[in-house]
Amino acid sequence: MSAATDAPAPAYRRVRRRWGAPLLFLAPAALLFVAFLAVPIGYALYLSFRGMRVTGGGPFGLRQETWVGLDNYVAVLTDPELVAGLGRLGIYGIIAVPLTLGLALAFALLLDLPRVRGARFARTAIFIPYAVPGVVATLLWGFLYLPSTSPGNWILERVGLDGIDVLHGGMLFPSVANIAIWGGVGFNMIILYTSLRGIPADVYEAARLDGAGEWDIAYRIKIPLVAPALTLTGLFALIGTLQVYGEPATLRPMTSAISQTWVPLMMIYRDAFARDNLSLAAASSVALALGTLVVSVVLLRVTQKRSFGESS
Amino acid sequence: MMRKPIPVVATLSAVALTLAACSSGSGSGGDDTEADGPITLDYWAWGTAQQPMVDAWNAAHPDIQVKRTDAGGGTDSSAKLVTATRADNAPDVALVEYNTLPAMIVAGVAADISEHADGLESEFAPGVWSQSTFDGATYGVPQDAGPQALTYNKARFDELGIEVPTTWEEFAKAAEKVHEADPDTYITTFAPDDFGSLAAFAQQAGAEWWSVDGDTWTVDFDDPATVAVVDYWQDLIDRDLVSAEPLLTPEWNAKVNDGEVLSWPAGLWAAGVLYGVAEESAGDWAMAPLPEWEEGNPAVGFQGGSAVVVTTSAEHPEAAAEFARWMGTAEEASAAQIEQGQYPASLSGQELTLESDPPLLMPQQKDYWETAAEITRTTVPEISWGPNTNVASSAFQDAMSKAVTNGTPLRDALTEIEAEVVGDMETAGFEVAKK
Repeated sequence: MSAATDAPAPAYRRVRRRWGAPLLFLAPAALLFVAFLAVPIGYALYLSFRGMRVTGGGPFGLRQETWVGLDNYVAVLTDPELVAGLGRLGIYGIIAVPLTLGLALAFALLLDLPRVRGARFARTAIFIPYAVPGVVATLLWGFLYLPSTSPGNWILERVGLDGIDVLHGGMLFPSVANIAIWGGVGFNMIILYTSLRGIPADVYEAARLDGAGEWDIAYRIKIPLVAPALTLTGLFALIGTLQVYGEPATLRPMTSAISQTWVPLMMIYRDAFARDNLSLAAASSVALALGTLVVSVVLLRVTQKRSFGESS
Repeated sequence: MMRKPIPVVATLSAVALTLAACSSGSGSGGDDTEADGPITLDYWAWGTAQQPMVDAWNAAHPDIQVKRTDAGGGTDSSAKLVTATRADNAPDVALVEYNTLPAMIVAGVAADISEHADGLESEFAPGVWSQSTFDGATYGVPQDAGPQALTYNKARFDELGIEVPTTWEEFAKAAEKVHEADPDTYITTFAPDDFGSLAAFAQQAGAEWWSVDGDTWTVDFDDPATVAVVDYWQDLIDRDLVSAEPLLTPEWNAKVNDGEVLSWPAGLWAAGVLYGVAEESAGDWAMAPLPEWEEGNPAVGFQGGSAVVVTTSAEHPEAAAEFARWMGTAEEASAAQIEQGQYPASLSGQELTLESDPPLLMPQQKDYWETAAEITRTTVPEISWGPNTNVASSAFQDAMSKAVTNGTPLRDALTEIEAEVVGDMETAGFEVAKK
């Protein structure tokens, strides 16, 4: 990044005179960006200020799209369900994010130990759940959770205990988070593991000569050195949490405990498709996107100093 | 952060592909003009009965060919119809559930077909016909009807010594008896998210959630009739005499197969659905009239059922209306429908069932169709759904599920639902009377 601006000035000026080639190279990406990102975002913004209102008289008057100003934003921001949904998202995130990252880091460190056996097999086995599509994984877990089809309950009943229903009450959040953790650990582990393999071996050698054990090496050398990768996976996990939709939406038909507004994205889906209110859904989407942006920027600011302190 | 450069060739070909996809996606079929060759109608419909019916039409009408697409079940299909109409590429004809039809009208999906509906009214019983006619205009041709009945596991009823209940009071007593005989077994399920089912129970009790007088709507979800219905179920839930959970989940299906859920009060289509999830227990089941709220008043409500509508995007409305009429009234259509276990909406179709075999779930019940005809003769005469049934259905699912999960009164949930429905109607600009 900084290398480009430090390039020798005369050469830079010569290139600058010829705009044709760079523009040509930029065009496809710019075109795609405009067509599939900028225009849809602009349209969503536009929609968020519109609404369907009855125009003709009569009990079955047609609804027409008209300008409604900030009505949709007022409705979204004063809806207690949005706050409740964000609260549920928070609980889910507090369970899912640290466990996903913690397990991923633990597995990566274990696999990185010298003379570890079965590393290839273990790495693949931990990674495979990531390859299972979210909806399929949720359906599989759904069968495992429901009392009448759960093998766990089958065993509990055989030994004379009562079965448990993990899709209600206090077990609901861990059950939903578990699906995401199961699917996400492998991906995060690979990123952290790759980052660990990039650390030169002589660092460890020096540490060992100074009498450090494997625990000290992991705690004092490996973890600080993979901090940028941890920040990156943490950011992904956070954004992933704000966008959680597939797991609870797929589980919803199986339990009364998950509402259509359980998390913000489910509420957006409901408004857009179950209630035919695209404008309200657009307003919620804009609000959620802005919120995500703010959280991401804050997180990056806070962590950047610590993780990328020297390089930036 | 560094970004991986995208190879230019790949990008260009992606753009080209996208543009090609865009240009081929326009239009809804049936681009040919009436003058040259046969016209093609696009038809969106779900369910096993549809393809055989469409095939029969195509064989008999070489000039008007119909292409059927399964765009998902009632709710999904309706949601997609609204979106497709906005994008001006909706199909010409579509199947729509009665309770979402008003929402399809105000969203501009369903076209007024009154001018193509001469003599159609006499083909249907008044209660059925009223579900596709609003404010004096006809918006669809009824195709199948779902008057409520009690589909029950006769083998298990006999085993536990339970008589088929004819009133809801007897039903509650039977629920006690079942649960005493086998604590793991419930007489039925109360599904808190099943809007259509409670709507029908409430109709049976005399509720009218939406009514319209001139241009003014009245919305009443917590009327005495509906409150009495939810109080009845509340009592059964509180005493653990029915299981309160969603239907047709892997959990529920397993219980039905294991004989732990013994009956399902639902539309007449229940036999087909149960056969789909519990095929092995075919022969154990039977159908009886729904229990009555007051003895001697056999009127029941409708749950589900659908009509064929012509969309406002149709390029050949006349041909589309002809197809819709044929699907609802022709003998070949009804025959194909009955074979798949559906109950036709038309009087002639219902007559035809009397010569047909009982559904696969209860091959031993020879009087199945006679009983069905009797039930249909005594349905609630007039049902009026509101212009935002979709909002009501979604508010209902969450409010009732929350009440069941948290153990709060179902009757309070009704008040919540009403507030949401009225709020939505007022925002949209409908006139709603204050109660």
